[in-house]
Amino acid sequence: MPGAKFDIAYLFDYFPKLLSTLNVTLTIVSLSILFGLGVGFLVALPRLYKIPVLRRLSEVYVSFFRGTPILIQLFLIYYGLPEMLKLVHIDVTRTPVLVFVVLTYSLHAGAFISEMIRAGVTAVDRGQAEAAYSVGMNGYQTFTRIVLPQALAISLPVFANLVIATLKDTSLAFTLGVMEMTGKADTLITLGQHYIETYIDLAIIYFVISFALERLFRLLERRLLRHERRERTAGKRFGRNVPSLRGLLAESAGVPKGGAGG
Amino acid sequence: MIRLRRITKFFGRNQVLKDIDLTVEKGEVVVILGPSGSGKTTLLRCINYLEKPNAGEVAIGELAVDCKRPSKKDIQALRRKTAMVFQHYNLFKHKTALENVMEGLVVVRKLAKEEARERSVRVLEKVGLGDKLDAYPSQLSGGQQQRVGIARALALEPEAILFDEPTSALDPERVGEVLEVIRNIAKEGITMIVVTHEMGFARDVANRVVFMDGGVIVEEGDPKIIFSRPKEERTRQFLKRITPEANYSI
Amino acid sequence: MKLDPAFIWTAFVKLLSAVPTTLFITVVSVAAGFLLGTAIALFRIYKVPVLGPLSAGYVTFIRGTPMLVHLLLIYYGLPAVIDGVSAAFGWSFRSVSIPYVVFALIAFTITASAYLSEVVRSGLLSVSSGQLEAAYSVGMTTPQAIRRIVFPQAFAASIPNLSNSFIGMLHGSTLAFTVSVVEINAKAQIVASTNWKYFEAYIAAAVIFWGLTVLIERLAGVLERKINIYNRGGVA
Repeated sequence: MPGAKFDIAYLFDYFPKLLSTLNVTLTIVSLSILFGLGVGFLVALPRLYKIPVLRRLSEVYVSFFRGTPILIQLFLIYYGLPEMLKLVHIDVTRTPVLVFVVLTYSLHAGAFISEMIRAGVTAVDRGQAEAAYSVGMNGYQTFTRIVLPQALAISLPVFANLVIATLKDTSLAFTLGVMEMTGKADTLITLGQHYIETYIDLAIIYFVISFALERLFRLLERRLLRHERRERTAGKRFGRNVPSLRGLLAESAGVPKGGAGG
Repeated sequence: MIRLRRITKFFGRNQVLKDIDLTVEKGEVVVILGPSGSGKTTLLRCINYLEKPNAGEVAIGELAVDCKRPSKKDIQALRRKTAMVFQHYNLFKHKTALENVMEGLVVVRKLAKEEARERSVRVLEKVGLGDKLDAYPSQLSGGQQQRVGIARALALEPEAILFDEPTSALDPERVGEVLEVIRNIAKEGITMIVVTHEMGFARDVANRVVFMDGGVIVEEGDPKIIFSRPKEERTRQFLKRITPEANYSI
Repeated sequence: MKLDPAFIWTAFVKLLSAVPTTLFITVVSVAAGFLLGTAIALFRIYKVPVLGPLSAGYVTFIRGTPMLVHLLLIYYGLPAVIDGVSAAFGWSFRSVSIPYVVFALIAFTITASAYLSEVVRSGLLSVSSGQLEAAYSVGMTTPQAIRRIVFPQAFAASIPNLSNSFIGMLHGSTLAFTVSVVEINAKAQIVASTNWKYFEAYIAAAVIFWGLTVLIERLAGVLERKINIYNRGGVA
């Protein structure tokens, strides 16, 4: 495999160069998540409220966008949409590639977000809605004030994963020639042949952003779920109380009969 | 006054309520007894339309709602005239004790925040939770949660409070504190309909006991009479099974 | 240019020849990733000194970086390391003789191991400690308890996650085209390059992936139901 000799100086040299395209990456992520939330709500509602026909369409939509690789979706929309629009005499040949990328990621994220919303709403105990009705709230008040806030809190970890996954997926936009971070890395390599240095820098940047996002979401989650604190620590599980488990394992090692231990 | 006329309810093909008539006067405490599956909880839930009756009429005060074609507005109105205390408390998990009580006052009754807060604090103090205003449901014991549930209902000052087995989910040692609170409310002359298995409570507090079985009201009347000289064989059998004296053989 | 439905079918038939490659990459990287991931999960659960924290760092790093970057780092980095080591020891072996697909397999195994270690870990954590205590109380030894009580329950709880990870890796295998492995996605590009009917080719590719995904989901569903029946019969 070709490439120039490894030179640590390039690690530092390329860092700011890659970072200069970070805004493109973050723009794709934030726009996609924003539109994805809109799409996700629209797609989730027919299934939550069991609206005939629309509900089927939602299911097919979600199944398709979750059932095919995002890379294929990217190509499908990039090559397919202009041709479809040509049929209705809309010319998009001059539309920036970035639009197609954001569109694909929005539709993709929308499918996952609709599933997230559905799971979140279903996870809220029915008694919560009944209690809201019993104090006289109407359907809208019940949904927005009681069910949705709880559903969102439940969904937050899933949402965090989705945002981070979208960030990582933006690395695929380079296949269409978008100058986000991975695309920039591609050009740097064409110029200097310093593959490894470039990709290490790229990895570090993606990692730092993912890590920061994860921390941020965890803080948010702790805030949103402050009402659950006691319940969450109460769950005694196989590994969460490792000391006692290890105690059990150690104890039984010497005494074949074993006992329930401490 | 609450008046149920010819209430009918099916779950699929299974008829759980058969033409039920029941009238509860203002200030009355009515206890509904019966074996599980007798339809007593369903009947209670029909009053505030958490369960939709297939036919009949629910009337509270001036408002009469035909169950065949209730409008959203009618259902809303029925719910605003009543409040419910649930078996599993159903406190809003993401809200504190105080917020749980305030929620209905602010959102439904459109009270000013300050006024709602004052009233909520007062009611929570009345159920003995003046020191738990800012606790989340997960930080409260079952008995405390149920007392918040009672406070939430009480604060709305409804025309009637519906109790759906309020003590069945509690640890035995917590039952007393909740019954005590309900007993005190009963003394204030609030109309109450209570579905329960607590025979002692029914005997002491109820003005009237309604015994249900198989989706019909078998017998109703003064608790002293029902408990000591039930007219119907089914009532007798049920009381024999459920009262503690009869349980020694187990 | 107009949509050519006939070419979708032509492309579909041609793409079928690349399905084995895609499945091979997916199955190998998931299987190897599962073994590696289980080891990593156990290091973390039992808080093994050095290996435990190291595993945690590894998982965080891999999960925090795109799969594409893993692939490119391995593809360009590993040969340099191999050739360096080889030269230092005076071996004649050179990385050029390694087929491209091996780099894809190594990279994807690394990716999969991090995600699967989380699946295994949460599966094991979902089994309550009371289960282990109960196993001891009837006189089982630790290996017996783990094999007969903990693993089956953890596996049953993990099936949805395992299926998701598998699908994730199936979809991720499309990246292998960047290192010249001809899987479905690369094949679609090749098929379309002759007549520029990319849209048609990618429709065919999408249909294949969609079908495979639905199939995996169904299989996982059947497996889950089967195992849960067993569980219900055994426990309750």
